[in-house]
Amino acid sequence: MNRERFIRQRRNDWQQFETLLTGMKNRRLSRWSGHDITRLSGLYRSVCYDLSLVQSREWGARLEQYLNDLVAQGHNCLYRSPPRSLDTALKFLSQGFPQLLRARRHFFFVSLALFVVPFVISMVIAAIDPVMAERIIDRTHMEQAGENYSGDLYQNIDAKFAEERSFMTGFYVWNNVGIAFRCFALGVFFGVGTVITLLFNGIMLGAVTGYIINQGFADNFFSFAISHGSFELTAIVISGAAGLLLGWGMIHPGELSRRESLRVHGIDAIKLASGAGFMLVIAALIEGYFSPMALPHSVKYVVGTMLWALVFVYLVHGGRETTDAGTTIDSHRRRFSTAHSAENAE
Amino acid sequence: MSEKLIVDTRVTVETPEGVDFQFMIAGPGKRGMSFLIDTILKLGVVVVCLLLVTTLAGISGEIPGIGAGIVLVTWFAMSWMYGSCFEAFWNGQTPGKKSQNLRVVRTNGTPIGWFEAFGRNLLLVADGMLVLGPLALNTVGLLSMAATRRMQRLGDLVFDTMVIDETREFISRTAGITYGVDRLRRSECNGRFHVPERTLAVIERLFEGDRLISDGRREEIARTLSRALRVRLDFQEPGPDPRNPNTYFVQTPLKHTTFLKRVLKTFSDDPDGRATESEEDIEDLAIDIIDETTADMARPDSPPENQLGELTAGAPDLTNSMPGVTQQDSGPLDGRPS
Repeated sequence: MNRERFIRQRRNDWQQFETLLTGMKNRRLSRWSGHDITRLSGLYRSVCYDLSLVQSREWGARLEQYLNDLVAQGHNCLYRSPPRSLDTALKFLSQGFPQLLRARRHFFFVSLALFVVPFVISMVIAAIDPVMAERIIDRTHMEQAGENYSGDLYQNIDAKFAEERSFMTGFYVWNNVGIAFRCFALGVFFGVGTVITLLFNGIMLGAVTGYIINQGFADNFFSFAISHGSFELTAIVISGAAGLLLGWGMIHPGELSRRESLRVHGIDAIKLASGAGFMLVIAALIEGYFSPMALPHSVKYVVGTMLWALVFVYLVHGGRETTDAGTTIDSHRRRFSTAHSAENAE
Repeated sequence: MSEKLIVDTRVTVETPEGVDFQFMIAGPGKRGMSFLIDTILKLGVVVVCLLLVTTLAGISGEIPGIGAGIVLVTWFAMSWMYGSCFEAFWNGQTPGKKSQNLRVVRTNGTPIGWFEAFGRNLLLVADGMLVLGPLALNTVGLLSMAATRRMQRLGDLVFDTMVIDETREFISRTAGITYGVDRLRRSECNGRFHVPERTLAVIERLFEGDRLISDGRREEIARTLSRALRVRLDFQEPGPDPRNPNTYFVQTPLKHTTFLKRVLKTFSDDPDGRATESEEDIEDLAIDIIDETTADMARPDSPPENQLGELTAGAPDLTNSMPGVTQQDSGPLDGRPS
């Protein structure tokens, strides 16, 4: 078999493969016919074989590049990520996400502490001494925040929000989910960005809350915030946990290489962040439509408490009945150890 | 050889079929361009949405809250979900990337999944950080790209992805080999100014970078072909330059090698577009190669082609004498999967 005969013999297959590829590349997987798939994969394998033959016999760089391109395209066409459906997304949210969060609960608790401790401290300070609060936040902002929850306005809160509910919902999605995602992404700088974001938000929210308590609007404020707070605050803490996880992957790779560690922790982190994003969208809907409703405070407290219980049950028991999938790092370890033992057995 | 550092934007990936093939990594230029296009598109969508809402509001009198909400949600979707959704649904491409023929894949060459697409796009926040001032956009990402072999920004590093360039173009195959060598001038040759593709391929193989032969040995191998080619082209070796004869004597020990390099440069980079073929040309590449060789072999009668016959017949011998080269005619194609 010399080069010319080889080319003459294989040329038809290459052209067939190429036309087949261009036809199938941009088509949805479900529209591929079985016949095409069989042909494509058969041709792909033979083109791979041709490439390795040309490589080993060094039949010229042009031919090699031509085949290399064919293989690269075929590879991208055949090896796809498994198609994701709504079903997988729902399964992830209902089971995978809470499972993962439980597996990574240490990060959740650290993030919780980073958020709650400054929150409580600045709240207590602001509640005792509003002058201190004004040092944290601008006076005018503070007063506006106070006014929002003062008695008079609160009576009309439904009227005031009625036309703006959708606007506010949009605003909450834009603002809060943005904060959560940023909180996650900045974790890549060894977790520093995440820690700062958590502390900053904790202090700010604490100051506002303390000031409002100091002004005596606590009842209005808490009845408003309790319902969406369930999803919102938890989600912020979870996105903080995701950011910390990312930073941890950088700081402490453990038994993995730093590269591998980043990859393993990164996937878990982004899963947590996606879950947090989802929770924040729910929170935005509650905050936009339910929280400002003119209902008796007692009703809001009851609903709010139920929502907190719901979040708790969701995160603590979600996906318990199915076998625990574990974290990416666990599956990695398992794979590694089985490969290792197989090697040893040999 | 060891002092030569290979600077290359290609990454080799092994397929499950056990074949190595190469991806070209996309550089900051193309990625910047696609980033720009995507940014303009994102802004465009938000502006269009805003205009729609305001015109509708203009009819009814005031900006409805729901309209403002839609604008904000659109803004959110564009700034956070645009890249992720496109990359997840379009197999690693956004409109900007598509326009530049770029694609995001995992570093092992397989397509990215949803979480990777989502994650690497969220990390744009970190990559887009300004370090040196407002003009230095994306500094972190650029630094990270400069520091990694696969030109990965932080988002790529964390999620184990890379951006590849799918543009199918041939880099001049002689790049590097013929650097600093002049083309042959027509005035230097009295014969037919043409060298068949097949001979060029032989020369090319002689110079392939990984061949571990010394310059002296290469010169020895080059001599046979060089002499035959000199006769065929009727090449007149220029005498020493009277102003600087020293150069001539320095170059003479490698004169056959240099000559072959010049031939390669002249005939493979010729303005007919051999080196930079368009897409259609590439599809016909296989046919090209055959046509050339069969045409050369089909005309053995005319005198210059006779010489060519000698040359190409000499070629296998030449390669046989080179170490580490398998004989061309060895072995049938056994075990081909059908």
